[in-house]
Amino acid sequence: MSPPARIALFRWKAVIPLGLFLILIVALWLLFADRLGRMALEKGGTAALGAKVQVDRFHIALTQGQVIIGGMTVASPFDSLKNLFQADELVADIAILPLLERKVVIDQLKASGLRFSTARTSSGIVPSKGPSATSQIMANTRSWAAQPALQVPVLQLAAGKLSIDSLDPRNLRTVHDAQALVTRADSSRQAWVAAEQGLDVKGTADSARAFAARLQKASATDFALINDARRTLDQVKQTRDRLTALQRNVTQGTKALQQDVAGLEDARQRDYAFARSLVKLPPIDATSLGWVLFGPAAVEKFQRAIHYTQLARHYMPAGMLPHEDPAPKRVRMAGTNVRFPQEHALPRFLLREAQLSFFLGAQPQAYAGTLRGLTSDPALYGRPTTLDATATGIQAGALFDHVHPLSRDTAGGVVQHVALPDLRLPSLGIRLSPGSGQTGGGTVAFGFSLVGDSLRGRWSVSTAQAEWVRDSGGGPSGQAASLVWQVVSGIHQLDLTAELSGTLTAPRLNVHSNLDRAVAERVQALVGDQVKAADARVRAQVDAAVNEQVAKAKSQVAGLAADAASRLGAQQGQLDQAQKAIEDQLARLTHGIRLP
Amino acid sequence: MILLKLLQSLFNTLHSEGTPGQVAAGMALGAFLGLTPLPNLHNLVVFALILLLNVSFGGAMLGWALATPLGFLLDPVFHRIGRVLLLETPALTPLWTRLYNTPVIPLTNFNNTVVLGSVVFTCAAFVPLYLLARVGVDRYRVHVAPKVMQSGVYRAITASKLYNLYRLFKPQ
Repeated sequence: MSPPARIALFRWKAVIPLGLFLILIVALWLLFADRLGRMALEKGGTAALGAKVQVDRFHIALTQGQVIIGGMTVASPFDSLKNLFQADELVADIAILPLLERKVVIDQLKASGLRFSTARTSSGIVPSKGPSATSQIMANTRSWAAQPALQVPVLQLAAGKLSIDSLDPRNLRTVHDAQALVTRADSSRQAWVAAEQGLDVKGTADSARAFAARLQKASATDFALINDARRTLDQVKQTRDRLTALQRNVTQGTKALQQDVAGLEDARQRDYAFARSLVKLPPIDATSLGWVLFGPAAVEKFQRAIHYTQLARHYMPAGMLPHEDPAPKRVRMAGTNVRFPQEHALPRFLLREAQLSFFLGAQPQAYAGTLRGLTSDPALYGRPTTLDATATGIQAGALFDHVHPLSRDTAGGVVQHVALPDLRLPSLGIRLSPGSGQTGGGTVAFGFSLVGDSLRGRWSVSTAQAEWVRDSGGGPSGQAASLVWQVVSGIHQLDLTAELSGTLTAPRLNVHSNLDRAVAERVQALVGDQVKAADARVRAQVDAAVNEQVAKAKSQVAGLAADAASRLGAQQGQLDQAQKAIEDQLARLTHGIRLP
Repeated sequence: MILLKLLQSLFNTLHSEGTPGQVAAGMALGAFLGLTPLPNLHNLVVFALILLLNVSFGGAMLGWALATPLGFLLDPVFHRIGRVLLLETPALTPLWTRLYNTPVIPLTNFNNTVVLGSVVFTCAAFVPLYLLARVGVDRYRVHVAPKVMQSGVYRAITASKLYNLYRLFKPQ
């Protein structure tokens, strides 16, 4: 039998096909790299922003270490028919070696022909398919803007009689609170009575008095009886101590109930506000009117700032811990990609410096700015991301400091003598043009900072050439809109300031302008009496609905406090009397000498 | 045409070409392509091994075809394994960190939970897969192949001249 033939380990003739296969891969890459790069940029950008990112041309010139992007359009995630920005051309000088680590390091980027807030013909907002960080951030931002503290009352001058037929007492907080208070008072009464019965003060006092009567017939040598008298006296004292403790509890309990009674007045005030909101009584004071006129625009401005800041915090996280991101979708399950930043290593993405050339205004003038240190791993880069643009009539800057665990994001800018975007007052169907560049324009300043979750922001518009325009789209045309229009259409000076403070969860926004008082005076003159009368009726209806319950609660608490005080006082008296009776007899028998 | 060629290679692989060990090794390597997400650098290495090592190319294609649906089914398991290794095993974090910051290695996409989980799973299953395939090919050749070779379908398939193209990669 011949030994089995030896099988060669390698198949050398396959080297040539393998080489051809590798050449084919390289050729395919050369053919499709630009297309794949464009698709990756569009897909990644769209996913990151939640709005369409479109690129007309994309070319990778690997030998020159350059990527050239032409005709880039980034839609706004807030305005469906507006772009966030458009760029004529972006030329990026890319470091080649970091690509072997799947890291993109752009040493220099030249962005030319940037235009902001340009119009688009189709919606650029991309609805989220499934949960994503971007959609979550957008949802969070929307719920931030929907907080009660940022809700703007509607300026609606109701015609005719203002009625609040829809006021349902069951919806009034005061009624709920008063009923709950009555229940608590009942429970307290029962608990105290039970505790009082547990003490058996009357039994103890009666027993002690009976013993004192026995002691009257006893002699000084009747030691057993004297000892029993002392034990009885101790029992009386212990009962009195427990009674004192109960009295303390009762006092604290009645105090708490009385505080709740006082709280009913706060609830009543809230119910007044609730009832006013049902009839939509127009605000008539200047402070509220500033908020009504420009509040929505201010909230929108700050909402956008918060959104972009939160996006920056997500995609540029602080710290050096492994960071998890959903992987790009593919036919198979995508899984998640985990980043492992390492000290002194390059970040996954780094744009060292970008020279920005942009246009502002309807009659574009060229401006320049610089962006530095945009990175996915700020802790690795070790320096904050900065943006600055300074030119005639414009001064803007931003700083995103995610190097340390506490993120600090600041952005601000002042634009002067430039035709500015219109300021819309949608609830009134009025649009304000802050003035065109030809006539000197206006000054718009915006400042925003988010340190941790502490907010601070300021938005101001100042112009002496304000032009008011009624929306042609048939916006609100009610009495309120007409009234505001009559007031503001003749005023060309506008000084508007909105200030934001507080935290993300508890923001405070204050909006005021030179128009507030003028509008308030007209509103008061027109409907002031009617509003005041309606306000009085609202209060009367609320009072009628809650007074009975409030009175019942007050009387219950007052009665409980008085009753408890008198009952416990009487019992205290009984114990005092019994104690005195025994002590008197003991003193008589022992002549003041304390026997063992 | 491609399907016909694949069928030819499949039958010839199972029936006569190469030893059961060569076919089984090819199937195990092919399973690597099927079980792990295809467009990753490690699969280029596996593909090169299939070509360069004297294993059955047809076996590799068969292993790939059989393992691909299994890969889709097992993706949630791979994700879980990858997650445990990448995120829930702190002792391994220094290793991943070093690999993540080493040139070329990140191109394997090892930091993806599904990729790492599937690669680890397939590496662990490689030898059992090889042994299983070897036993399977042995038994097929003894019990099933004679009957298949008598069938008209088999003769029609192997008669095609396209079959000759495939022979370039048949095991020596």
